[in-house]
This record gives sequence, C-alpha cells and structure tokens, in this order.
Amino acid sequence: MIDSLDLVPVRAHLVSRPRVRLELQPGDRVIAVVGDEIRVGDVLAERIRDPRLVETPMPRDGADQGIPLPGTWLPGEHARAGRHAGAPAGELLFEHGGRRRLATGPHPDRLLAPGDGRVLEVEPGVALVLEVRGIGLAATELLGEPHSGRLVVLPEDSDPRLALDVALAGAIVVLPGRVDAEALARARAMGIHGAVVGSLAERDRRDLVASAARQQAGMHRLAPFGVLVLGGYLRRAFAAAVQAVLDAAAGSTVGLVGDPALLLLPEDLALRVPQPDRIVVRGGTEAGLEGRWLGPGGLRRGRGGITVETGLVSLDDGRTLAIPIGELERFAALASSG
Amino acid sequence: MRPPRADATTADGRRASFSTLDHGSATLAGALVGQVDGRWRLLAATALPAGSSPDALVRLLANRLDAADPAAARAIGSASPGAPIPWADVPRLVARSRPGANLAVIAATERTRARLEEAARGAGWSIVAGSAERTDPLELTRLATRPGVVAVLVGVADPPGADERELATEIAVATAGIAARRPGLRILLAGPVPDEPLLALRHAPAIERLPAPDGAPGERVASPLRDALAAARGGPDDSRRALAAAAGSLARVLGLRIEILEIGVSGAARVLASPRPADDGETRAAVQLVEAPEAALFRMDQPGSIDRIDHWFTQGLDRARLRDRLAELAIAPWSDLDGDGALLRAAALRAALERLLVATDAELGSAGVDLVVGAGGAWSAIPGPAATHVVADVVRRPGTVQVAIDHARLLGPLGTIEDDAERDAVVADLAADLLLPVGTIVMPRGLRPNRPAGQLLLETAGGRSEIDLVAGGLTLVDLPPGARGTAELAFRGTPELGPRGRHFRVAVSGGLAGLLLDLRDIPLRLPERPDRRRELLGTWERALWPEHDA
Repeated sequence: MIDSLDLVPVRAHLVSRPRVRLELQPGDRVIAVVGDEIRVGDVLAERIRDPRLVETPMPRDGADQGIPLPGTWLPGEHARAGRHAGAPAGELLFEHGGRRRLATGPHPDRLLAPGDGRVLEVEPGVALVLEVRGIGLAATELLGEPHSGRLVVLPEDSDPRLALDVALAGAIVVLPGRVDAEALARARAMGIHGAVVGSLAERDRRDLVASAARQQAGMHRLAPFGVLVLGGYLRRAFAAAVQAVLDAAAGSTVGLVGDPALLLLPEDLALRVPQPDRIVVRGGTEAGLEGRWLGPGGLRRGRGGITVETGLVSLDDGRTLAIPIGELERFAALASSG
Repeated sequence: MRPPRADATTADGRRASFSTLDHGSATLAGALVGQVDGRWRLLAATALPAGSSPDALVRLLANRLDAADPAAARAIGSASPGAPIPWADVPRLVARSRPGANLAVIAATERTRARLEEAARGAGWSIVAGSAERTDPLELTRLATRPGVVAVLVGVADPPGADERELATEIAVATAGIAARRPGLRILLAGPVPDEPLLALRHAPAIERLPAPDGAPGERVASPLRDALAAARGGPDDSRRALAAAAGSLARVLGLRIEILEIGVSGAARVLASPRPADDGETRAAVQLVEAPEAALFRMDQPGSIDRIDHWFTQGLDRARLRDRLAELAIAPWSDLDGDGALLRAAALRAALERLLVATDAELGSAGVDLVVGAGGAWSAIPGPAATHVVADVVRRPGTVQVAIDHARLLGPLGTIEDDAERDAVVADLAADLLLPVGTIVMPRGLRPNRPAGQLLLETAGGRSEIDLVAGGLTLVDLPPGARGTAELAFRGTPELGPRGRHFRVAVSGGLAGLLLDLRDIPLRLPERPDRRRELLGTWERALWPEHDA
C-alpha cells in the first residue's frame, strides 16, 4: 500500500545491533581476534605513533612459520653475526626483491572498545569491524576519536563554559545549546571523554581538528576525545524524538563511533517509537517545529521564486501549513544494521 | 527497459505510457509520458528530495493527472472507468546518478600518475594518487586503504619506460599487499602491470584489465582508458553516461549543436553533440562527454572555491556564515529554499559552472553551439529566467545561443534507451516538452563600454520592435516561449558575433526570459569592491528574478 506519507524522506535515526568500523592504520598492532566477545573499554589494538617504513632482509630459512601475509605483525629479530642487521617488530606491508617492507614505530596509545559486542572482521592496518550489542543513534559525523563514558545531558540553557567541570571527567556530555571550539577544548582538558552536539560551525570544526592534530604531535598527549555531531553546521534544536532518546539514555554508559557516525546506547534502553505520521520541519521559517502529516499540499511557489512540492502538516502549535517537502523529514522505526 | 511503441495500445486496451525516474544524489525526479494523438507527450512531472518513495511520486503524478484531465488519465491508465490506475505496472525508464566514488591511483612514475589521474577524473572518479617514484610504500598503502576508497587503479605506460619496468613489479606487489588487507576492494590494472602477485593471494581479488594510459601528462583527452573507467564507475543506467546518449538524439533530431551543462550535488558533466550527415543519407551525431566531479554544486575543497561563490553572491554575508550555509546545503540540498537561499544556490551554480568549464575546456574547447541545455538538480533550484542569466554570466562566448532546461529530468532516463533509432523517435515526439526554453542570448564581443552601440530590429509574427543598444549592460526583450523571430543588429563598431561585422541577422526564439542582449565585456569584468560588485550583479539579477528581494 503506497501512502502519501512516503513522499517525505525517512530518517533511520535508530539502528539495532549496529556494525561499526574502527579505523586502523598500517603499523597498528591488533589485539582482538575475529569472534572475540568484547566489553566496553577493552583494549582492541595498540595505536602506532609516527609510523615509519623500514626495509629488512628476508629472515633465514625456517625463521617464519609459513609465509606471512601482508598485514601480519612480525616480531623483531636480533642482529646476528655477519651481515644480518636484524629487524624491528612491525607490520608486514609486502615482500619484494628479497627484502621486506615493514611499518614500525612506538605504540603508546590504545584503541578501546566503544561498546559491548563481538569482533566480526579484522582488516590489518585498515579497520576493525564490530557488531555492537545495543542501539545506535544516527549522527552525521564524529570529529576526533571513538570513546565511551557515562552520558550526561546538560540543560538546553546551560553555558558550556560554566557547566563543564572536572566532576564530569570520564563522561560523554550532551551540549544542546551553542557550542564552540573553546568549550570543547575545555571539555577535553577536564578529562571529559566526548561531547554530543546538535551542530557545529565549520570554523569550530577546523579549530577542533587543529587542536587534535597539535595533541597528536605533542609529547604528552591527552586522552582520546570525540565530538559527535548529530546535525549539520547551523544551530538547530534537537528533534523531540532525538531528545527523548538522549533523555532516556542519560546516566548509562554510551559510546561514540564515526563509521557510521553513531551514539551507541545500551540494549535494554526503553525507547518510545515516534508515531509513523510524526513530521519534523528541518529547515525554513518553521525549522524545529513538529507535527502530523495530513497529505500532499500541491505545488507552491516560494518566496525565492522556486516552485516546489509541499505537504500539509498539522503543527503542534495548532497551525496547519503547506510546507515544502524538502524541509520535512520523519523518523523510521528501529532499523537493523546491514 | 524500453518504452512501449507510441502507436501501441496495451492488451487491456489502454494507451501506451511509461514513467521516468531520475535518481539524483539530492533529488528524485519523475515524469509520466503517454501517447496523445499518436505522439508521446509529457503528461506530468515533479521532483522530490532523494529518499522519497518512487512509487509515491508516480502515484502523486497519476493523481494530479487524474484531477486535471480525468478522461486522458483513464484512457492512458485504466480501461474501465472508476478502476484504480495501475501506474505501478507501466514501464519505467530509470537513470541513477552515481556519486563520485573514491579511486586510489597507484602509478610507477609521476608521469604515468598524471595520465591516470586525468583519465579517472574525466570519468567522474574522485582521486587520491601516488607513484612508486615519489611516494613510499607505507604512504601508498595508507592512501589506498583510506575510508571511502572503493577501487585501486594501478598503471604503467605501454610499453613501459625504462624507469617503469622494475617499478611495475613493485607496485603490483604493493597492490597485492593492499588487496590482502582489504578483501573486496576492486583492482583495476591499466597497461602491462603484472598480475601474478595478486593472483597468488589466498583470496585473489577480482581484477579488471583496462587499456594503458595514453596522451601527454595532464592533458584531458578522450581515451579508451577513460571510457573503461567510466564504465567501471557507473552502470548501464548511469545518468551522466545516459545524458551523452540523449544529447546525441537531440542533435540528430533537432539538427543543432547541443551542449549539456549538467551540475549536481555529487558531480558534474559537460556533453557536446553535433549532427553529422553520414554517407548513407542518415544523420549521425558526434558526442563527447567529460565528467568533472570537482564541479559538483557545493564542493568547496579546492582553493578559492568559497571566494568564487562569494564573488557571485549578491547578498552580503560574512565568510564563516557563508561557509556554514554552503556546508549545510551539501548535507541537506533541499533546505534553505526561501529568500536568499535561492540566490545562494544561483551563486553556487555560477561557481560550479566556472569549474566545469575550466575542467573541460582543454578537451571540449569553447566554440559556440546552437543550444545550451542546463541539466541536473542545480538548474531546478532557481527560477527558469534566472537560468538564462547564469549562463550569460559564466559562458562568455561571442554569438547567439538558445538556452533551455531539462525541467522534467527526462534526458537521463531517455538516454538509457539503448537503441539510437528508438530513442530518437521518442525524443522527436517529446522535443517540445522535454526542454523548457528559457531564452536566447545574443552576446557580441568588442563593444566599447557605456556608449551607444547600435540598434536592434526584432521581427516576429506579432510585429516589429526597435531597440537602441548601449554597450556594457544587459537588455531584456520580451519574447515568450514558442515565439520565433529574426533579430537584425546594426552596430556602430565591428564587434564579433561569431564572425566580426557591423550588421548581423540572426534567428531567435523565445523563452521564459525572452531575448537577452548581453552587451557586457567578454570576459566579464566586475568591480573589485564587493559592495559595488554586489550592487551591479543584483541589478542584473533583479531583471530576470522578480522575487529577488522577496
């Protein structure tokens, strides 16, 4: 049965048992193996810092057990008398011309599991694929690194510069109001594990990424920190359905991941499923308002002179308006991860 | 899928009909086409945001047709009065825009890398690239295993140069290392790259052999490699490749030199098609297609791309806010439709069009054509008359050109009809419906600015009108869609309008904007000061965009 409601694009904001990819780079030392059951905070891999390429001679016959595949972690070899100079431990890139190319370097950082689940795939130097037991709240982007912590939802009218303090160390903080790079840098300095924001301006994103790069290059690095952006670049309130999920998850342990961008929530969370005809206005003069779908509203010419399809929406404030369908969206019931 | 023959009725007595769907990155466009008086006619068309249901869209159109002309709807859709119209069952022509997927290019030398990059970019791929000559194996591995990379193109020249022979084996081995890490990654080998290291893997990847790169480094030329890469990226229903087929049909059917400027959210393409008489008396068409992912509408990752949008935007906006609004539009292209959101789209369209011409001029040149067609979602997001102004601002070529818009997004779906003759027949029937004429631009070069330039005498079926010409500005002459006439231009100097001369007589046709006499400089020179530039651009824009200040 085709319903006119299908004219409105649907946003799958909740994903059941999501599959997530955690990015690796050549030289990272993976500890988890396929099939491992993991708990939030488990060490999955040791991150390489400043990876470098080394060429080593092939080992003497029989030193390897079988022929190592690219991506295999090879232990170091001591130098021996004669012409054999030894080799550092590292990840094999490939063998060619009687020599091995390895990615090697120090491993001071850890990649921690952002949620409970199972290791599905290990692609050495590329990614770890996990199936997370729980629900994922869809976002648009994760800036920084995956992490986990207790979810704390700050009130909408709170000023992040005042509300963020060391009592929140280890938490993932939802910042519903205006957020800038300074507030996020402050959160990181307080030992907060991450932030969930509705939107973040391009300038603040660049400042945040630059700050993270400086940390990366520094001798004494701070702990990982992630910023999960649920919307886009322009400030906008959370949709009621999203706010309800965040409120329900407050106090529980959640995770942040970037591929796909999700807030990982506990499996046993009691969530209210939005009504199928519930409509959110995501742009235009009525942005942020919600209501109920009544049907197609026909073609209308907007103020900019563009003619677009509209839908009739009975808004919660009592008005019924014809709003461009491009400005509308609705939330799907719980989707399962591909 | 083929449309039914125009003279056919279905088994249950209904007249032939079909629907079209163009799945863009941002927009789902659909149309109903049916047989009326023995000809294919466009019955209804609309566009919705991507993510809307195609079935719901077709049903919306069917209901609209039913409301506007119940008799026609019943004749086309249903044999029995009162029965629901089974539009879901009518044939569909479907085209899909493929987002610019990421391709990692690994070459033996920098020279070959440049050739491979050019071929891949012209085929619509987004590129990350390195060569064994300059990039170490660790960096090559990292770039080929980046998130989003779906395929690796490995290439050497044929025959390989002296410096490439040893490196060819090394990049093959490095690629095997990459393939071992990323099972499922597509491996494309161009030229004599040894495949033994890849075949020796326990789970050998699917390898596609492509022609070797040719042409000079950095030169965009049509090549078998580019065609193969385009085929590897898109499928048979790829809308940009389908545009080329549709352009060929337009050129044959209309007997005109056609240029399609397609701008979308995930990519862009330029198509040139010219009719050519063949020895057998038939008309053929020479068609060239070049894709340019860097000309995607809101792409801002190139130096100066924001500056160019700011250059064309007629509203004052600080740079940070402008960047945020454009980034938001890239995520949600259908938002911000009202007020200056439409003007911002027009500015972004001009900047994208500039990038498209820069990316394709080396291969396609900048010679004049008879008809410019705007295709893709970007053209639908501004009023029709304003599209003429956009073309006039950016495509600065002396001559006379008609401008039209693929308003119902039919060209892509029609281009998926495989047989040329069959497609030509449908295009011939639909020619008057599928292109929305927005105007004719007359653009001479070589006039002295701000001086009387001469006179225009316009003769149409409705009468004659004389207009004094002043160089340096735009003059709009009312000429409605469907009207045809002759413009006699008598200049005081000897400007170039195709050839150079004092007197010209050109055929013109009407459109939503009418006849646009563009007597501005070629290339267009605008004031350096932003406020004065905005004021001047705004003055011109208002003439063709009544809702400019709404």
